[in-house]
Amino acid sequence: MSGIETVKVIVSAEKQAAKMIQDAEATAADIRKRIDSLIQQQRTEMLGTAKKEASALVQQAEEEGRREAESYEKESAVRTRELIARASLKKSETVEKLVTLVMQREK
Amino acid sequence: MMSETSRFTEDILKAAAEKADKIIHEAQAETQRASDEAKASISREAEAIIRSAHADAEAVKRRETSEARHKSKLREEREKDVIMTEVLDHAKKRVLDMAKDVDKYLPYLTNLVESAIRQLGDQTLLVHLNKADMARIDRANVEREIASGLKTPIKIEWSKEPIVAAGGAIVSSPDGKTRIVNTLDERFDALESKLLIEAGKSLFGQ
Repeated sequence: MSGIETVKVIVSAEKQAAKMIQDAEATAADIRKRIDSLIQQQRTEMLGTAKKEASALVQQAEEEGRREAESYEKESAVRTRELIARASLKKSETVEKLVTLVMQREK
Repeated sequence: MMSETSRFTEDILKAAAEKADKIIHEAQAETQRASDEAKASISREAEAIIRSAHADAEAVKRRETSEARHKSKLREEREKDVIMTEVLDHAKKRVLDMAKDVDKYLPYLTNLVESAIRQLGDQTLLVHLNKADMARIDRANVEREIASGLKTPIKIEWSKEPIVAAGGAIVSSPDGKTRIVNTLDERFDALESKLLIEAGKSLFGQ
């Protein structure tokens, strides 16, 4: 191999090496560029899932609250009915007590 | 056998390949770090959303049950009020009916007048009755009973002007400046809160 040929071979190798590095830098830039949209996508997905879960939690609580409220109201209605029924049995006796109170002599 | 030139170019390419690998690995590592940090931050944000939802859910549930309790309490109070009002009305009616029976009413009226006289502390008084009582009450008898009750002589003047009341009396000083209203209506008004408390105790054990 002549001296000129040797130089040509080396120059060609250096060009090839420079191209390899250039390609690698382009790939690296591409990787960096993709990460932003990837993060944005992750954010949208994760927060979307969290918001759905949150909404389901509140909805579930509303339903539970409504069920508990209905059950409480039913129990309370029964308690009130019983209370009023018991009180109704004492009406005459109570009227007598009140009449006595009104009529009692003042000292 | 490999020439010197070949070895040299191979070294150049090998070094370039290593550098290229390093460039890509660095970019990958850098983006991995960024991704991990972003994930951690998004996770914290998501956790905050869930935490807040748990708090909202608790509040929603509490509100529902608290409204139910409040509504039930109001309904119970309304129903109690109905029965208390009914009992109070019956008691008033019983007292007013009793006032029609002069034998039962007279001692009561005497007591109302005597009590008013004690409060006034005068020995000369003007007593006002309603029209029906003015016609049916034996005033001399009432005066005697009162004098006996007070254990002191008193002079009662009976007003000729009837009062508008279901029963009872208004007792005033002769000049009318001081007066004690002991009508049945006034007595009910004065006793109302006490009657309600007693009715509550008797009916509901409160």
